[in-house]
Amino acid sequence: MHSLGCRLRRMNELSRAQIRDLMAQVLKNQDKELPADDAAQLREIGFRSLDFSELALRVEDETGEELNFDAPGLRRIATVGDVLDFLVELQHQ
Amino acid sequence: MTVATSRHLTPASPEPAGVDNRLVVGGAPLTWRSLPTPTLPDPAAVLARSAVHALTAARQHAVHGTELLLSTASRVDAVMRTELLTAGFTVGVLDDDGVHPSAPARPRAAEPGRLWLLTSGSTGRPKRVGHTLDTLTTVRGDQPERTWLCPYAPGTYAWWQVVTLSLTQPGQHLVVVEPDELDDWPTVAATHRVDAASGTPTFWRRTLYRDAEALARVPLRQITLGGEPVDQAILDQLREVFPTARISWIYASSEAGASIVVHDGRAGFPVDWLDRETPGRPTLSVRDDELVVTSPYHGAGLAGPIRTGDRVQVLDGRVLITGRLDSDEINVGGSKVSAGVVRGVLTGHPAVAWARVTGRRAPVLGRMVVAEVVLAAADPSGADTGVPDEAALVRWCADRLPEHAVPRRIRVLTDIPVKETLKSDV
Repeated sequence: MHSLGCRLRRMNELSRAQIRDLMAQVLKNQDKELPADDAAQLREIGFRSLDFSELALRVEDETGEELNFDAPGLRRIATVGDVLDFLVELQHQ
Repeated sequence: MTVATSRHLTPASPEPAGVDNRLVVGGAPLTWRSLPTPTLPDPAAVLARSAVHALTAARQHAVHGTELLLSTASRVDAVMRTELLTAGFTVGVLDDDGVHPSAPARPRAAEPGRLWLLTSGSTGRPKRVGHTLDTLTTVRGDQPERTWLCPYAPGTYAWWQVVTLSLTQPGQHLVVVEPDELDDWPTVAATHRVDAASGTPTFWRRTLYRDAEALARVPLRQITLGGEPVDQAILDQLREVFPTARISWIYASSEAGASIVVHDGRAGFPVDWLDRETPGRPTLSVRDDELVVTSPYHGAGLAGPIRTGDRVQVLDGRVLITGRLDSDEINVGGSKVSAGVVRGVLTGHPAVAWARVTGRRAPVLGRMVVAEVVLAAADPSGADTGVPDEAALVRWCADRLPEHAVPRRIRVLTDIPVKETLKSDV
């Protein structure tokens, strides 16, 4: 797969909507619901660092590609939208 | 490579006490006495072509005190071969025509009675550890007559345990299964009336997973587990199939020798066994979560306390051996998780036949607990236990473990992985 080059590798990338589905799955397994609003606060819906890590592993498992967790600098991840933006961006690193 | 230091060695004796015990190899009935008596080089590194050749070399050692390292060609690579030749061994394959030797690079005098083991080397290169028949003999004193299964690879510590028992104790017979018979061992064992068997937890799990009914037909009265962490689930599953058998687990290592034997059917050993000094018996201690053993049956040059590299955890008055120190501990965002404890919870699920728990690189927390499992075959009693999915197994763990120890990704494998040592590096 890798030998096909960078342009094709992008085919493995997940869309923001697909990552949202995975995020909903992480929460559903704990009988929690993911609000439709991207501005929803993670603290309020009970989405914590363990859940964020699980979501990242699910993205890796879906794409078959390792995410480079060290690439981006520290940032504030407080809302559902922050999580989705971050993981979309990580796939480009 | 370790080098022998002198210790009192067993003198060569005419015939070992168990010489007339029954041996079954590849279905053929033999005795120790009926084995061929090839001349072995001394010192020799013997690579046994098959199980019968390995037994032949062991008996020749017992009779002649030949300095011996016994293994198989698959466990000695080119680098190890060169190391052995440099260390003065004649290296050769033993088959029906005798030994086909390569001369040592630096010939030297043999050390009578010395036996060498290659440790399985779960980390790094295999190490050579010096023993004698005496330091490898765990069971002493009168034993009820038994026919033992020997499923182990020739020359490993576990193999020598069963072999020395049969060589030195009258009434201890052996049924040896070759690697290609291993998956079907219950049939071989039932045919030859095996009533005692020793294996790793992986070996027992695989057997239960593949064909529990065939296992139940083996008339086992003694079941022994060792070589890997032993959890409560596997003890309970074996108890269910063999309600009246004695079920024991043994902690032993090439370096420290046999150190712990537990017969009460429970995982771990009582906490009051720690730091108890009894002459002629090993002393067990815990330092920084590591099991430390001071044993009279240690390997050559290893006197004094031996740090075993095995991690322990005290839970409900029992000292549980949870796994290798360098792989058992998973650091999840600063919280320590024992892979062995998580594995015990997973294998405690009625539908899980086997589990491996590891740490996986993850953002924010550094590592996260993940697992692989093999699900049990359908319940033979017909009871509907249901096939759990990943979410159900995660919930099972979440009900029994702190949040950071719950494996969040659980992959289902179709068969239990196993290595030549009958371990699966869980």
